[in-house]
Amino acid sequence: MGGFDRKIQKFWTYFYEYGGYNDVLIGLRNTLLIAVIGLVIGVVIGTLIAAVRVMPKEKKATGILNSICDVYVSFFRGTPMVVQLLLAYYVLLPLLGLNFSSLAVSITVFGLNSGAYVSEIMRSGIQSVDPGQMEAGRALGLNFVTTMTRIIVPQAVKNILPTLGNEFIVLVKETSIVSFVGTADLYKAFNDMGTNSYEFMVPYIVMALIYIVLVLVITFMVKALERSLGKSDRRS
Amino acid sequence: MIDAVKLTKRYGELTVLDEITEHISAGEKVVIVGPSGGGKSTFLRCLNCMEEPTSGEVIFDGKLVSYIDPYLHDDLIAVSATCKKLVANGMNKKDAVEKIKAEKLLRKNEGGEFKTAYKHLEKEICIDLNIARRDIGMVFQHFNLFNNLTVMENLTLAPVHLKIKTKEEAEAKATELLHRIGLYDKKDVYPSTLSGGQKQRIAIIRALAMDPKVMLFDEPTSALDPEMVGEVLELIKQLANEGMTMVIVTHEMGFAREVATRMLFVAGGKIAESATPEEFFDHPKHPRLQEFLSKVIKN
Ligand SMILES: Nc1ncnc2c1ncn2[C@@H]1O[C@H](COP(=O)(O)OP(=O)(O)O)[C@@H](O)[C@H]1O
Ligand SMILES: [Mg+2]
Repeated sequence: MGGFDRKIQKFWTYFYEYGGYNDVLIGLRNTLLIAVIGLVIGVVIGTLIAAVRVMPKEKKATGILNSICDVYVSFFRGTPMVVQLLLAYYVLLPLLGLNFSSLAVSITVFGLNSGAYVSEIMRSGIQSVDPGQMEAGRALGLNFVTTMTRIIVPQAVKNILPTLGNEFIVLVKETSIVSFVGTADLYKAFNDMGTNSYEFMVPYIVMALIYIVLVLVITFMVKALERSLGKSDRRS
Repeated sequence: MIDAVKLTKRYGELTVLDEITEHISAGEKVVIVGPSGGGKSTFLRCLNCMEEPTSGEVIFDGKLVSYIDPYLHDDLIAVSATCKKLVANGMNKKDAVEKIKAEKLLRKNEGGEFKTAYKHLEKEICIDLNIARRDIGMVFQHFNLFNNLTVMENLTLAPVHLKIKTKEEAEAKATELLHRIGLYDKKDVYPSTLSGGQKQRIAIIRALAMDPKVMLFDEPTSALDPEMVGEVLELIKQLANEGMTMVIVTHEMGFAREVATRMLFVAGGKIAESATPEEFFDHPKHPRLQEFLSKVIKN
């Protein structure tokens, strides 16, 4: 295993002495930024779409909104996220004459994509809430939106928290594609180290370990959140 | 206080309420009984438009809560394109209106004048449903307390959010109501920790916290264990004695007899009998009511 020792040595040189850890930290930051902000945007969009889906169906406006949501969800679920990312960065931006950083574009695409998935999660969450809750809110004179935001969505979110945690983990893992548009993420940091040192084994092992630790930490945090939100179920 | 005018509710082919016209005055305690599936809940839920009537109107305190039913407004029909056409063909206006009502001839688009008249009428007689509902308390069979809120939050959410009361006023009122039902010590717990009877009594005071003018009860004790029925009925009786206007759907005949100022028998989408409790229980007229009572009382 002398060869492996040398590989570790080499990695350490590039990681520590040549400042590769800076790239890793930046990559870690970007990975988390994209996943966290992406999920936040996703939850907001997803909740809005889910609310449209469960609105009373009589009105014409609801029908139009529903169709828009259909197109949106089909597009973002029906194409690979890499394709969406490439389209946004290399097609949409130049066409619109806009000049955003690849990080901003990555965050936006992750948010929009996540919104499509979260909308389905959120819809099932909303439908898992007893319809009597909506009725009670409306009977008191609260409107649809208020009852939704104060009563239904909090209960729905609680029900879907494990699934939402999964979605977050998916996003963290998927961030490894943002280097396609040049965003500095974890993959790019380690890949650069590999390219510079002509030695990929150790960088990729370390990268894998970091992803595993990230996922474990997130899983732990979701569990903790679930417990604290579970208080309205506890018997006193 | 509440008027139902030719209230009709259909689910597809199924007619659940068939042109029910009924007036409920302030101070009345109207108890509705009838066979299961007869339309009692649907009728009650139409009164605050939790179910939207298929046709007919619901009027609360002189204001229209449901949508306008054009067939109930001759002036509206008179300016419809259909009516004008009939008149142009030589029919007299009054007959034309009657014909349109009888044969339900109004179409989706009845011309600009109709539209203007409709809008005008809307402004004149309609009240925003969410505003009307503030004055119509509703109590459900399954309580429907907000699971994500504490008891105190359940009681104060609507009055505070709708700016009917300040937070302090709402909490003072809630405190008073909780003391009244002996559950003040539960103010900070979540509904899942309460018994059925406690939940229902809190659901009742949640409605009361809005200072409603009328209360609707849909089988308030049907989901309760027998030993908890008494405490809920007792609270409803107290409210009745204090003069609250009420419409109650129930299977508790003893309670009905005690609390009702008027009994309604709803079956087959109609109000088959409306009478004082004495008349209703001792001298029922409609054969279906006689049959119903003999069954209920045997059990
Ligand atoms: N949302 C609905 N869709 C279809 N049918 C319904 C719906 N709600 C009620 N019904 C039907 O309407 C009838 C009357 O129901 P309901 O008013 O609940 O009766 P009750 O309260 O007297 O038992 C029943 O036959 C029921 O199946
Ligand atoms: Mg019923």
